[in-house]
Formats: sequence, C-alpha cells, structure tokens
Amino acid sequence: MPDPIIIASGIYKTYDTGTVKVNALQGVDLTVERGEMVAIMGPSGCGKTTMLNCLSGLDEIDSGQVLIDGVVLHDLPDDERSDYRARRMGFVFQLYNLLPVLSAIENVELPLLVSGVSPSESRRRSMEQLDLVGLTARAQHLPGELSGGQRQRVTIARALVNQPSIVWADEPTGDLDSETASEIMDLMCRLNVDNGQSFVMVTHSADVGDRAHRIVRMRDGMIVDDGNGRSKGS
Amino acid sequence: MEELFGLSMDIIMAVLLAVFLPVIFGVIVMAWRNRVMLKLGLRNIPRRKSQTALIIVGIMISTLIMAAAFGTGDSITFSIRKNAIDALGTIDEIIVSARASDSDTIGSFNYFPQQRYEQLKTELAGLESIDGLAPGIGEFAPTVNSRTSLSEGQMQITGVDPDSLTGFGLFHLQDGQVVRLETLGPNDALINEEAAEELDAVIGDELVAFVAGSSVTFRVQGVVDSGGLAGQGSTLLVRLDRAQEIFGREGQINSIAVSNLGGVFGGAELSDEVTDTLRVLFTDRVIAGQLISLLNNEKVLEQLAIMRSSLGEKMAADLETVANGLRDSNMTDAFIGALADEDVQEQILNAVNNAELADVERQASTLFAGLAEFRVLDIKKQVLDLADQAGSGVTSIFIVMGLFSIMVGVLLIFLIFVMLAAARRSEMGMARAVGAKQRHLIQMFIFEGTAYSIVSGAVGVALGLGASAVIVFVVNRIFQSGGSGAPENFTMFAHFEIRSAVVAYCLGMVITMGTVGISAYRVSRLNIVAAVRGLPPPITTSQTPFRNLLLAPLRAFADPVRLAASGVWSLATLKIMRGLGSLLLAVWATITLPVRFFASVFQAMWVPLSHGWLTVVMGALLTWLGMANDEAAPLRIGFSLVIIGAGLSIKTAYHRTGLRAEVGDRIAYTFMGVVTLVFWVVPFSALEAVFGTVEGGIEMFFISGIAMVAAAVWTVMYNADLLLRLLTFLTSPFGMLRPVLVTAVAYPMAAKFRTGLTLAMFALVIFTLIVMSILTEAFSSAVGDSDRVAGGWDIQASVNPNTPIDDIRLAIDAKPDLDNLDIASIGGYTTLPVEVRQVGADDQRWRFYAVRAADDQFLQETGANLKLMADGYDTPEDVWNAIREDSTLVVVDSLVVPSRQGFANDDIPFELEGLFYEDTTMKAIDIEVREPRTGQVISLKVIGVLDSLSDAFGELGIGMIASRQGLDDAIPFRIPTTTYRFKAADGVDIPTLSKDLESSFRENGMETDVLSDLVDDIASANRAFNYLFTSFMGLGLLVGIASLGVVSLRAVVERRQQIGVLRAIGYRRRMVQLSFLTESSFVVIMGVAIGVGLGTVISYNIVKEIQEDVETVRFAIPWIQIGVIVAIAYVFSLATTFLPARQASRIYPAEALRYE
Repeated sequence: MPDPIIIASGIYKTYDTGTVKVNALQGVDLTVERGEMVAIMGPSGCGKTTMLNCLSGLDEIDSGQVLIDGVVLHDLPDDERSDYRARRMGFVFQLYNLLPVLSAIENVELPLLVSGVSPSESRRRSMEQLDLVGLTARAQHLPGELSGGQRQRVTIARALVNQPSIVWADEPTGDLDSETASEIMDLMCRLNVDNGQSFVMVTHSADVGDRAHRIVRMRDGMIVDDGNGRSKGS
Repeated sequence: MEELFGLSMDIIMAVLLAVFLPVIFGVIVMAWRNRVMLKLGLRNIPRRKSQTALIIVGIMISTLIMAAAFGTGDSITFSIRKNAIDALGTIDEIIVSARASDSDTIGSFNYFPQQRYEQLKTELAGLESIDGLAPGIGEFAPTVNSRTSLSEGQMQITGVDPDSLTGFGLFHLQDGQVVRLETLGPNDALINEEAAEELDAVIGDELVAFVAGSSVTFRVQGVVDSGGLAGQGSTLLVRLDRAQEIFGREGQINSIAVSNLGGVFGGAELSDEVTDTLRVLFTDRVIAGQLISLLNNEKVLEQLAIMRSSLGEKMAADLETVANGLRDSNMTDAFIGALADEDVQEQILNAVNNAELADVERQASTLFAGLAEFRVLDIKKQVLDLADQAGSGVTSIFIVMGLFSIMVGVLLIFLIFVMLAAARRSEMGMARAVGAKQRHLIQMFIFEGTAYSIVSGAVGVALGLGASAVIVFVVNRIFQSGGSGAPENFTMFAHFEIRSAVVAYCLGMVITMGTVGISAYRVSRLNIVAAVRGLPPPITTSQTPFRNLLLAPLRAFADPVRLAASGVWSLATLKIMRGLGSLLLAVWATITLPVRFFASVFQAMWVPLSHGWLTVVMGALLTWLGMANDEAAPLRIGFSLVIIGAGLSIKTAYHRTGLRAEVGDRIAYTFMGVVTLVFWVVPFSALEAVFGTVEGGIEMFFISGIAMVAAAVWTVMYNADLLLRLLTFLTSPFGMLRPVLVTAVAYPMAAKFRTGLTLAMFALVIFTLIVMSILTEAFSSAVGDSDRVAGGWDIQASVNPNTPIDDIRLAIDAKPDLDNLDIASIGGYTTLPVEVRQVGADDQRWRFYAVRAADDQFLQETGANLKLMADGYDTPEDVWNAIREDSTLVVVDSLVVPSRQGFANDDIPFELEGLFYEDTTMKAIDIEVREPRTGQVISLKVIGVLDSLSDAFGELGIGMIASRQGLDDAIPFRIPTTTYRFKAADGVDIPTLSKDLESSFRENGMETDVLSDLVDDIASANRAFNYLFTSFMGLGLLVGIASLGVVSLRAVVERRQQIGVLRAIGYRRRMVQLSFLTESSFVVIMGVAIGVGLGTVISYNIVKEIQEDVETVRFAIPWIQIGVIVAIAYVFSLATTFLPARQASRIYPAEALRYE
C-alpha cells in the first residue's frame, strides 16, 4: 500500500536577478514513498538542486504545494520550519559543508543540540553515528584534517544522527573519486535499508542513479520522467 | 602655533610633505604603469559599502586624533593671542619701577616722579620705533554704583594723561563715537565695558570709590571699549592729575605705557629693539662696570661658551655679546642691552653657578638687582610667545594622550588587511598562478589602501577639527563654571591653521600608508597551491643560506651605489630612460636604506630570536642597560624580553621532544603571558630589592599598558578552550543556548590572530579609559577635601589694600548685619612680594617669592597640615606656636620644595635645596628675605613645609607663612591685612555669613568666598578637565567598535555557506543572529574584563605610589563612570554586529548554500 512521505504538486519557482528571469521549476509534481531512495538526474541547470531545496523547505516556492509527512511545509512559520528540519530531515552536500572550526564529533552532534537533546546524550549518539560510518578514530579531528571521503562520511553521520525521516543529498559523491563514491553509496544504501529512511539525491552520476530505487529525470525545470515503475535493487 | 616637540611647524610640514608627496607620486606612477592591478585593487571598494564605511572610520582615527590635537593647540594659541591683543590694544611694553615684582604690570606702590617721564620723552624723541609714551597711575579701589548698589571690590582706577595719547589711539564709546579725556571734569570718569556690566552702570550714574579711608564720587560720562589704556578688567578712567590727587601722589606716576610703531598687531615685532633701547637707557653704567670687573673671569666665560650651544638662537647671540663685552671691558649699547635683560642675567648667573663661584654669584645677584632704574616689561611679546608655547604644549599633550588610540588604529589597519587578504586568498593564488608577481599583489593592496587612506584622511581631518571645536566649547564651559584657574574673562575661540591641517593630514597618511605597506607585504606572501585550494598555509623554513642573510645588511648599503653607478653608465651610453630609472631607484634605495638595513638585520637574527636564546641575551643586555642607567623603560622591556625568550626556549625544547606541539605551545605561551603579566602588575617598589631604584616618566604608562594588555590577551587566547569548557558547562541547563555557544566560541578561537588583535584593541582602549577614570576620581577626591585644603577655615575674604580694615572685630561690631558671636575666629594675613635666597645653598640669587605675614589669631587657629617639620617639633601645633612666639621662624608652602619625582613648579623661581617633599624629616633651613622696596634684608628660619593640598596647590594663596609681628618691626611701613579667614560659629549658615560680610565691608572692597564651595569648584574643574581628556582618549573606543563591526561583517561574508548549513540543520534565524552577537560579546566582554582588571590594578599601584606624597589621594573605583564606559563599549559594539548578524540570519538557506 503506497505510503507517500513527500507529495509535491504544481511547484513553480522563478529566480529574478533584476535583469534576467530564470524559470527554475515549471509545474513540478513528485511523490516519494517512505523508505524510498530516489535519484534526481538531468543536465546542468535543469533545476535539480532547486527542486531539492524547494521540497526540503530550504528555499521558498512561487506556487504549488509541498506536503512532507502530511505537513504543508511552506505554510509553517520560519522557526517551525527550522525545527521541523532539525528533527525530521538530514542534509548531505556535495562540498560536505562541515563547519571547519568544529571537530568531526562536534559537527555531528550539532543537530542534536539544536533539537534540545542533552549534551551527554548528544555526544553518545554522535559517537554511535560516527562508529556507524567508521570514523570513531577521527572523532576529534577538524574537517581540514580529514580526506574527502571521510568528510562526506561525517556529513552523512550528521545527516542521520537525528534519525530523520528524509535525507536530502545534493551530489553526495560529486567531489569524490569513484572508489570512495562507491563506498559512500554503499553506506547510504545500507542505512536506507537498515533505518527505512527516505533518500532524495540529486546526482549527475549514472552509478549513483543505478543504486537508487527510482530515477527522476528533469529538463528545463520540468520532470520529463518520474521513473515510476522502475525498481532497482540496492 | 609655531613649534611642536621643539621642532618648527614649518620644518615638520616640509619633512612630512617630503615624505608624503613622493610616496603618493610613487603610488600614482605604479598605478599608471600597472592599471590591471589598480583595477583589481579598487574594484572591491564599492562592492561592500558598509564594510568600506567601517574601514574608513577605523583608518581615519590617526588623522582625527592629530587634527583634534592640532586644532586644539591652534585654538589655544589663537585665543591667548586674541585675548592678549584685545586686552593690550596698542600697548606693547610697560615701564615700571625696578622694585616692582614680575607680575606687577601696573606698578602699584612703586611710584616715581613724573619728571622722569618727561626726560624719557626727550631722550626717546629720535627713536622711530616708538610712536607713543603714556604716563599713568594704576591703583585698585572698591567702587559702588549709588544707583544700583552694585559694587566691584577690585576696580582698577587708571589715571591717563590726555596730552600723551599719541600712538595709543582714541577712546571709543560703545556706539563708535570718540570721547576725549580733555573734556572730563575733576569728578567725571569713563568706565570700560566690564565695569559697566559689573556695576550695571550707565551714563550719568554716580560711582563711589573708596580710597585710603575716604570716598570719591565720579559721574560716568561714557562707557568705552575695553582694551589698551581702557584696560581689560573693570576699569575706571580719570585724568592723570585727578588720579594723582586722589591717591595723594602729586607729581608721581607708577607706570609708563609704550606703544611701538605698527599698531595693534605689528608693534610686538619691534619689541626686542625697543626693549633693548630702553634697557640701555635705564642701566646704571657704574654698576655695569662693577659687573664687568666681577664677571670677566675665564671660568665664567668658558661656561658661557658651553651654555651657548644648548640655548636658543637669540639667547646664544645675547650671551656672545655679553661674553665679548666682558672680555673686552667694552660697554657698548648692545652689551648693556643684553646685560639688562633679566633672562640673560639668569643665564649669566647659571654660568657663574656652573663655574662654582658662589661668592661671585652672590655679588652678581645683588648687583643685577640694582643694575636698572626701571623694569621694561615686553608684555605683548611675552603673551604672544606664551600663546605659542601653550598651543604647542597642549597639542603635545593631546598627541601623547592619543597615542593609545593611534596605536589601536594602526592595529586595526593591519587587521583589516589581514582579513581582506584572507578573503581573497584564493583569487590572489590564482593571480600568482597565472603570472602575477608578489610585488603585484603588494601593489594591489597598496592601491586599495591608498584609496581608503586618502578618503579617510580627509574625513579624519574634518572630524578632528570638529572635535577640537567641541573641546573648545567644553573648555569654555569649564572656564565659565569657575575653579579652573583660568584668567577671568578668558574666552576660547575655535581656530585652526591650514598648515596644521596639512601636517595632521600628512602625519595621519604617513602612519596609515606605512601600516598599509607593511600589511600588504605581509599578506602578499602566500603559497600558491595552498591559496588556490583553500588549504592552510604550509609551515615554511627559510631557504635563504645563512651567509646571504648575513650579507643582506651590507647589501642595503651597496644598493644605492650600485644603482647610481648603473644609472650613470646607462646615461653615458645614451640609454636615457633606463639611466633615469636607475637613478630614481638609487634615490629610493638611499631613502629606504635605514629601513632595509634594520629589516635585513632582523631577518638574519630571526631564527635565533624565535628559538629563544638570542631573545634572552638581548633582553638581558637591555635589562642591564636599564639598571646601569636607572631607567625603567629599558629595564622593564628588557626583562620582558628575557621572559619571552625563556618561553620561546621552552617551546623549542618541547618541539624537539616530538610530543604534541599544541601542548608545548600552550605551556610556552601561557608561561610568557602569565609571567610577563605578573612582572608588570607587581608594583615596582616590590622589585626594587632585585633591580634597584629606577626612574620612569609618562612613557611608562604607555609601555606598561601595551605590555600588560598584550600579556593578558596572549594568555587568554592560548587558554580560551578551557574557558569554552567552563562556558559550556555553565550553559548546559539552557538547551537553546548550547548550539549557539558552540559556534560562537569556536569561530573566534579558530581565528586566534584576528580575535587576539581585536581583543587587544578593545582591552587597550578600555584599559586607558579605566586608568584615567580612577586617577581622576583619586585626585578629585583629594583636591575636594575642603578641610584639608582650607586648614579648617570656612570663609576666605580679600580686602583692597588701599582700604584696609583696622580692627576686624571692632569693625564687625559696628556693622548692623553682622554679629561677632556668629564668627568663632578670624585670622588674617598680607601677602608681600619679596626676594629670597637660602643661606649656604648653591644658588645664591635673589628669587621672587612671597611672604604671608599672618596675625596671631591666624597662626593660633589654622589647622593647615604640615608635610615636614624641623627636628625638635613634634606636631603642627608646636610649629605654629613657635612661629607665633619667634618672628624669625616660617613655614614654606610645598611649591618651593622639589619632588623626587621631578615634578617642578615653574611659577615660583625660588626652590629650597637639600630637601625633598618626599622626605620624612628635615632640619631647620636658614633663609634671607629682602624687601624689594627698601632693600632691607631679614634672616629667617624655615621650620616646616605645608602639605601640598593646603590652599589647593597654591590656588588659595602662595607664600611662606610668618608672624606679621616680626615683619611689622622690620619693615618701615605699615602692612595692611589683605586676606582674612573666618571660622563660623556652630549652627551659623556659612553662605549667608559670607554674603553678609561682603555686603557689609563693600567699602573696603571685600570679596568673600565660601572655602568649601571654592574647593568644590576647583575639584569639579579638575574633574571636568579629566573627563575631557578621558573623552578624547575614548576616541580609541571608536576604533575598537569599528574593528568589531569590520570583523563581524567579514565573518558574515566569509561564512555565508556555513550559515546555510546551520539553517539547513535546524538553526532558527534568531539562533544564527544570537551566535554572531555572542561571538562579538565574547570579544567585548573579554576585552572589557582585561581592560577593567588591568586598568584597576595599575591605577591601584599608581595611587599607592602617589599616596607616599599626598596621602589624601584615595583609591576609589568610580563605578558609575566605569559602568557608562562599559555600557557604551558593549552597546555600540553589539550595534555594529547586530546589522550584519541580522542580515546573515535573513538569508534563505538555499541562497546561502549557493554562495561561493
């Protein structure tokens, strides 16, 4: 029985720089099931990242509606939307976007602290998460002291430490070599299966796409193929 | 203002322009030749407008302080000149009796026959430089306006000869009409504006003047403009013959006013010539001959020759004239003119003193006293010179006080460039990768820095001159409220010279551009790969061979020669452009030689210095130098270097063990910070056992401030993680604060250099403000101790000497409004100008001083505290009783006793030898006092020294205190009591009693003051000046605030992506904002804590040291003022952070994440 966690319908988004108007999303409809791993693919500038940002509430939309677990995200005040992200979502970025001044463990525990979890509990859960991604030994290192793959593992640990329902990943392997990329995808697929979390990934990589349950293809701000019916084993 | 720090302003301006213009020209040439770098440098300026504005505010501070200091100095010079010119008008010199004292410009008491004036007129008839001579009488008399009943206790009554006004101009009524003195009848008078205002007098009013027990009534015929013969204070003008009649001085005058050719302004230029001519005329040639025989001595001539080299041009020339005259026994006019100059006489006596000829000095001093018949006071020239001195003095004080702020400004410029470079590191790396050289990057920053400097310099000058106008306004307010010691009617005018604005601008620009150049050099050195990839800079070791490092200093000398030779060779081979270029470079290499030499020496020594051992050696040498010369600055700096060297050695040793470097760094830097801090915080008296006694001046305040703040910041920065843990622990109960704190503390701790610099700036500014505030409080509370200052008296009253009161108690009985029962006791004294010298002292010259001849009641009742008492006297009462019983005993005030701290009082030329104010015991000192009118010499013995607070450092009265009985006997004329002090009976309202006394004794010209009010006024004026100085120093706070604003703005820009991440993982807007505000708060609070803490400690040390001399100086913390300073610092700093923080929090997470 379908159990959608994300229902987006009629999403429009235009960027207006004053001189140029870019129609980034032109009536996008998308549904993602709970526990599903979806890859969004398409040529550069087709609106993949914009869609991810709009669906996750990181960006405003001009029209349409996004329902996350039954909640109309864009109707929420900014503070509540922030709280919602802190408790229910995790983010993985291409450039890792760790805070360079905090150690790996401090980066991972930040979402827990924001959610009001006690410091000792935060530290315990963060260590568990780092253990899960195989970085216990590097817990006290600053991001600058880690390799690209290690940094991305920390980012994944940070995204998952709150046990979110959805993980949004923007080019999670874009900055990694193929071997490390494969390791990262193994890890994400394992977590997806173990925890039943939904993953929405933006990627250029066919390998990454192949590991997803479904590939949504975009072009010129529209979904040209929502990939329904396809199912790939993880 | 003509001079600053002893240098001519013209020379300062020329030097600064000679530095500034070539630099600017060089920058323009560079820009023209390298337009790409110019574009790269300038394009950033309009991109971030608010950042540019903050940078300009921060950079302008040096120029602002300079301009404010110069503007204030110019205003003071201009105001004194203007007040003097307004007061003196066409009068350039005044001739008074040789017996008149220095300050006596109207010659009262010292009359001479009018016939002498007539002779003089004839003698001077051929002298073109004089266009007017006016005989006159000036006396003070209490005067009452019958119509308004208003009185003036010290009305100057001036008798002017209507036939001698040529050269002095005419008297003008206020409506511009001319009034002629010839038309005045015997009972007619003119009054000046001040008198009209004081008495509310108009034409036709009857004014009653009380002179020598009788009264004279005058009818006002007109109110004339003040200035010149019409005087500046309240003045009543009558015909000379009438004045002579009133004062019983028929055929006598007491002054001759001289007007030089050239009117009001040009007259002073002829002053030297006129004064010399007059002095020649007035000199007794017999005495001059005796002086020649006495002083024609090889030792004296030798000393005169030695002294000439260290004196000003004119004095040196005068001394040469004197020496030639003495050697040749030739009494030329030039010789006599020089010999009769009192300043020259002073130097001659100094020469005799240096030659150790005590007897000659004694005799010469006596002969000099009788050398001239009259004293010629070149008053206008003196005041104009004084105006210049005062202006440059004040400018110097303001510049010295602004040094901290200038220093903070320099740090800010450095910080700004380091931050800009950090932000542009990757693009700079790219530029280097595609072929730009290091010098291109330097040029790029110099172009940008120059653009900021040019604008900020102009804004700084404008604001600085505005600030000086504000200072002038505030000073006027302080003057108006009284107690400041400023002359009555003195008004300050805001004024500045173009030259000062140019100097301020150039000085500010030279400081700014120098810092920009050094910063640009520092930031341009980068590793290209690390810069392009955004990696931390690799640790590099010098690749230059040691031999080359050693040769570099020599190369600095060789470069100019090499370039010049190459230039000449190129020219000779007709390669004109190349030759000129080489020659220009040779000039540049010559100009920058000292900088390059020292830089290369420093570079060669850098490795051993950074390893620590050479730093220890250099520090030890400097410490030894300080100890050998008893100087605090080299000793303290040297020992601090020893500590730093020891810390660096610990670091080097630790690094060699292979253990974790951070631990070694923490140990080494904490050691340096803490030990240096302890060394500077401990009062030096506690270290005297080790280092001996050393002397330090005002510079020690500046040095110690920087050293302590640097040590404290150092310690904090290397241990802030411990602080963070504590904070995290403390905030754990507040869930929402934790994530905010984590980022708020982590960021500043990650950028230690930036944070440390900002912290140091803040701490330094707060430190200076706290020290100023606490010292102000300490001194004001001491000066404000009215019992101590007034010796237990309640009211002080002065009486006109022409209308004295015979028996004050009897007189009070006769007054219906007064009751003797209201007054517990009355003491009185007269201040007599005398000449004095100490028996057996090195200095055997007669020096002007004063005697306060006190009556028995005064000596019995005075509670004045004594700092020193001669052996054999145990209590102040013993001393006062001894003086009552033995009229040859006196107590001197503290102004004539030198201080070991070197504080000298220039107002009184007399100084006791063999005694210091800080001593605890004294032996009685024999002195001789000469009454200048009779020449009679009396021998006295000093048995005590007044506490320095008595009479508010001389504000309420100056002079040694003696029993008047002895003086009455010794001086063959009557000494009237001119000053009374009253103690009110219990329960009597003192202000009312004061008013009643003044109105009852109006005819005697009595003017009363409630002493506690007077003391309060003095204390509050003192406080107000200190607040003014504190506010001026507070300008540095502006830099601190601007720096925090720049840091916050940069942080928002640099961390935009990270803000996006924070928002993505659930940070609310407010949390982002709070994180930035907390970050700034961390710097401000730490800065304030360091500044307040260290400021309080050093103030405590200073106050303790001062207490050894003035024990009433109390250490008290002015909580309110400190609270205000802290609040201003905090609120404004947060305000500059608030906007960028708010802006950061409002960015959409997606937008922030997209930012690169």
